[in-house]
Amino acid sequence: MFRHLFRLIWNRKRTNVLLLSEIFFSFVVLFGVATIFIGFGRNYVLPRGFAHEQVWRLNINAGQGEKMPRAQLDDVLRQVRALPGVQELTLTSGNTPFRFITMNGEFEAGKNKIDNVDRYDADDRYAATMGLQLVEGRWFQPSDDASTRRPAIISRNMREKLFGDAPRVVGQIIRESAGPGTENKTEFQVVGVTENVRPHGDFDGEAPSMWMRLQPHDTTRWEGAAVMVRVAPGQGAELQQKIVHTIAGVTRKWSTQVYALEADRLDKLKITVAPLAALAVVGLFLIVNVALGLFGVLWYNINQRRAEIGLRRALGASGPGISAQFLGEMLVLTSLGVTLGLLLAAQFPLLDAFDVAPRVYMFGMLAATGLIFLLTALCAWQPSRLAARIQPAVALREE
Amino acid sequence: MTTMTAQSDLLTTAQAAGIQSAPAQPIIQLTDIEKVYQTSTVETLALNRVNLTINQGEFVSIMGPSGCGKSTLLSIMGLLDEPTHGTVTLSGRAVTSYSDRELADLRNQRLGFVFQSYHLINDLSVLDNVELPLLYRKGISGKERRQRALAALDKVGLNARTSHFPSQLSGGQRQRVAIARALVGQPDIILADEPTGNLDSVMGEEIMDLLLTLNRRDNTTIVMVTHDEQQALKTERIIRFFDGSQVN
Repeated sequence: MFRHLFRLIWNRKRTNVLLLSEIFFSFVVLFGVATIFIGFGRNYVLPRGFAHEQVWRLNINAGQGEKMPRAQLDDVLRQVRALPGVQELTLTSGNTPFRFITMNGEFEAGKNKIDNVDRYDADDRYAATMGLQLVEGRWFQPSDDASTRRPAIISRNMREKLFGDAPRVVGQIIRESAGPGTENKTEFQVVGVTENVRPHGDFDGEAPSMWMRLQPHDTTRWEGAAVMVRVAPGQGAELQQKIVHTIAGVTRKWSTQVYALEADRLDKLKITVAPLAALAVVGLFLIVNVALGLFGVLWYNINQRRAEIGLRRALGASGPGISAQFLGEMLVLTSLGVTLGLLLAAQFPLLDAFDVAPRVYMFGMLAATGLIFLLTALCAWQPSRLAARIQPAVALREE
Repeated sequence: MTTMTAQSDLLTTAQAAGIQSAPAQPIIQLTDIEKVYQTSTVETLALNRVNLTINQGEFVSIMGPSGCGKSTLLSIMGLLDEPTHGTVTLSGRAVTSYSDRELADLRNQRLGFVFQSYHLINDLSVLDNVELPLLYRKGISGKERRQRALAALDKVGLNARTSHFPSQLSGGQRQRVAIARALVGQPDIILADEPTGNLDSVMGEEIMDLLLTLNRRDNTTIVMVTHDEQQALKTERIIRFFDGSQVN
């Protein structure tokens, strides 16, 4: 019977080419949408790599034209750390998680290069404050003051990219590309490796990251400082006010804003979810359109083929047999359309396009294939049932 | 072929000598058949208490004016339509309570249909069209289907046109394909609904000769609806209908 269906479809290629195109393009779009959603879903369930829940971000500004003497900054940090409810505190730069500011660079080790690496300035207490998980080596420590090269800690994915399967990377040198046409490269010495981190948001993937030891011996050129504070569970506005007052008590010229990283995360989430929701609506709209299109074409097809249905019934086809034939034709056509779509979709992982993991593309293909088969089966089901109910005597007489 | 002709001649001789032949076996029996088409406002009686027996090997023509119920009667005989009242018996077995699947199997194995407008599938070749009934029969391989379809086309003299499509054939050739399709499953009964209605007289004669040959050579029972008196006269029995009732 399948051979007969193939022959029938082949002989009706002109009629079927539109339906085939619709299935092909629907598959491609569904593949795109499915890949995006699967990618986001996969990211969502990945560990974040740090603990942000009890962490606040302090923006301390020295004021218009004012600078920050190191002694005063140290005094501020000491006094804030001493506040009840504050567990840990670290000095960093403006690149903090869940914000729209990113600082990144291109790094190399030997012949291997990696670009778009998130770079952070971090002091010796950063890992403890942010809950980073070290998988190799150590975090920064005071003895690093004597280091000839700036110490750096890299994430596991950056380690894999630069050093592959090397058994040990502590002590290795990493160079930062200074930019096109410049030969000078800043060198860093790896002292540790952390677990991968996802600092950009709930739906973003693991970003290769590098923490460079902040050595603020002289902060007189600083106009502001970013401080991350880990607080005890249950702390809120009262402690935030105390922090602001404490800093103001050291110097009235400085102003301070306190933000919870959780609030930053939610702000980022709102902005990420909006286009995702729009994409979901577009995807849904597309699915409904495809379904209506397929349903219409099949309905038309069946009405055009009433005499053929009557004839087949006369020649020995049962009602369910007719229904199965139409579903079978749709199955064959869908298989052809999906095969063409898969040929195109397979190019994405093969060409490593858009920096998406091949597994995500594979799941995207699977999801799009499943969806398109489900969609065509659902759309063909009702017209096929109608075809099965056509009275052969009536259909044969109509012509 | 020679043997068949000899048998046919022998029978004619026997009949001429007044020798009683074996009693004819009824193959189709219609008892008290009534068919009513009902809409929300109108009730139309298409067949009114029809009682009819068709014997094995008979070639019967059904005649009557348009709308008298001939095609409805053929549809009921062909198990394509159900009577509102009455019983259809095929080789002694009433088919009233048969399921859709059982009726489909009966149509496939025992009946062959020839229609006025041929009802060929234009997107299938002549050979594929003829193979069609065998697709719905279990246990027949693709090779056997092909062989039987070629044999059926050979019987109607169209074995040189197997790869043509219906649109490439004349009306007479299309009807031959339809007859080959009706024959391929080796049915006991062929039901032909105005098989020459769309053909000119020469082609109509050809088709009629073909049906007569099938009846005489293969002992196939043929029930033919026709408007053509001349062609009806060539059959063994004429059943006339008027306004849903048998009139002779």
